[in-house]
Amino acid sequence: MTNNAVAAVADRYRQPMTLGNAVLDIHPIAMVAGITALIVVGLASAGWIVPLAVSALFVGIAYLAGRGPSYLVTILKLWIAVGLILFALRALLVKGETVLVPLGPIAITREGIENGLRFTTAVMVICGGVTLFFAIVSMRRLMLALERIGVSPRVSYVILASFQAITDLGATARVVLDAQKARGIETEGNVFVRARAFFPVLAPVFLTAMTATEERAIALDARAFNNPGRHTSLLNLKPLTAVDTVLVVLSLVVAAAAVTGGILGWF
Amino acid sequence: MVLAALTGVGFTYAYAEQPALVGIDLQLEEGRLHGVVGLNSSGKTTLCSLIRGVIPHFHHGDLTGEVVILGRPLLDWDPAELSRTIGCVFDNPFTQISGIRETVFEEIAIGLENLGVPRDEMIERVESVVEQLGIEAIVEKNPNELSGGQRQKVAFASIIAMDAPVVVIDEPTSQLDPEASEAVFEIIEGLKHRGKSIVLAEHKIDLLAQYADTITVMNEGTVVMHGPTRDVVGSDEFGAYGVVPPEVTELGRRLAAAGKPLDRLPIKRAEAFDEISVRIGRSTHAH
Repeated sequence: MTNNAVAAVADRYRQPMTLGNAVLDIHPIAMVAGITALIVVGLASAGWIVPLAVSALFVGIAYLAGRGPSYLVTILKLWIAVGLILFALRALLVKGETVLVPLGPIAITREGIENGLRFTTAVMVICGGVTLFFAIVSMRRLMLALERIGVSPRVSYVILASFQAITDLGATARVVLDAQKARGIETEGNVFVRARAFFPVLAPVFLTAMTATEERAIALDARAFNNPGRHTSLLNLKPLTAVDTVLVVLSLVVAAAAVTGGILGWF
Repeated sequence: MVLAALTGVGFTYAYAEQPALVGIDLQLEEGRLHGVVGLNSSGKTTLCSLIRGVIPHFHHGDLTGEVVILGRPLLDWDPAELSRTIGCVFDNPFTQISGIRETVFEEIAIGLENLGVPRDEMIERVESVVEQLGIEAIVEKNPNELSGGQRQKVAFASIIAMDAPVVVIDEPTSQLDPEASEAVFEIIEGLKHRGKSIVLAEHKIDLLAQYADTITVMNEGTVVMHGPTRDVVGSDEFGAYGVVPPEVTELGRRLAAAGKPLDRLPIKRAEAFDEISVRIGRSTHAH
């Protein structure tokens, strides 16, 4: 990369941050408010059509944000792994008067199916919202936005570092497993073989992580992390625009209306 | 002014059975490049941690004696003030990365953000150190995906960008190739010319002999030699503590042992080149 290329990178930091997509560029606080409001709407409804519609809306938002295919794959996996099981358990175990399919001591009832649909779509609307959050909200931008409204940089560091720690732990575990493999220990095969290889590495992985955390804390201190003065930011996050503010207010209104409607049985 | 004055200093890490430092008496002047050498576990890193204030502010243990940094007892320093005054690059590049930044450019800027440097100035300073260290090719990479050597350069760049008056550097070239090591030493020399005080623990004695003003030799937690680089590195005692002298010094000694001593024992490559050029010149004239 030439010096001109570095200058171009530097120029990007001088401009307000953009991710090149109108949805992704919505202020992170407005995004969180919007997604939360939609989850509340889905949960407030007494039926299963509204949460299902909200789940579909999440897919639409993901596509608008340019993250559609990966979001859809993730959410379909969740529906299959979590949704179907929850639905089947509810449908089979919730008792009702309208028996549709008798299965020996248990029976599938209309009430069980309705309860299953309601419960499953409610859980899946939460899963969908959380998945969408991680798909379209940049944690770094969100933390920066929170720092702007008074959240301590220490708190934002802990949150960001916690997410990174998950990745780091996985990487360390892979390194230790590779080392075990190099020493002739079987690490591949069926579930039991993998489990036998994996569990013993947990202790060294966590010990390594704890040691690294201490060293990282000292390294951060060397970078004046504990400096009590005002911290600045390289990233130039756009302040809340009028549209973002409207979105936040609208989210609050919709969420409040949904809760009220849910209590009063509007939908 | 004196950068660091240590009198009768000893330190034992909490839960350790053996002391890491014993009876250290050492005085380092400001505005110079001080090299620290010694075998592994000789106390170099502990000495660096002490001068930086990581001991006793982070690493607890039993500290005895008196440590005065820039005229003030170490215990009187506020840790945050120390971090503004003394930059520090540690020896493990894998824990030098914050883990919370998405690009190398952002990673280098962390210290500047914490110091409250305005954005435009921050960008200029990051650009400058990127150019100095020749890491243009990785500025947009994720710091968590770099090799050890690249991380070492990024950690070094982060501290250089902060422009602290004192820099303590612990083995900054341990994962670097010879060319990159030379480049790092040139940057360190540049820092010295800008009036910075530098304490540098390093195994690459050839480079230290070339750039350092003083050398401190450590062995089993004690300072066994300290003085101007030429006096220490050129001393017969130097190799007694397991530290290998520079190649050119060894060459000079072997020539002397063979009855063909150079006019002056070289400790730097340029000196060896000059001495041998003179010898070749004489030899040519003699024929």
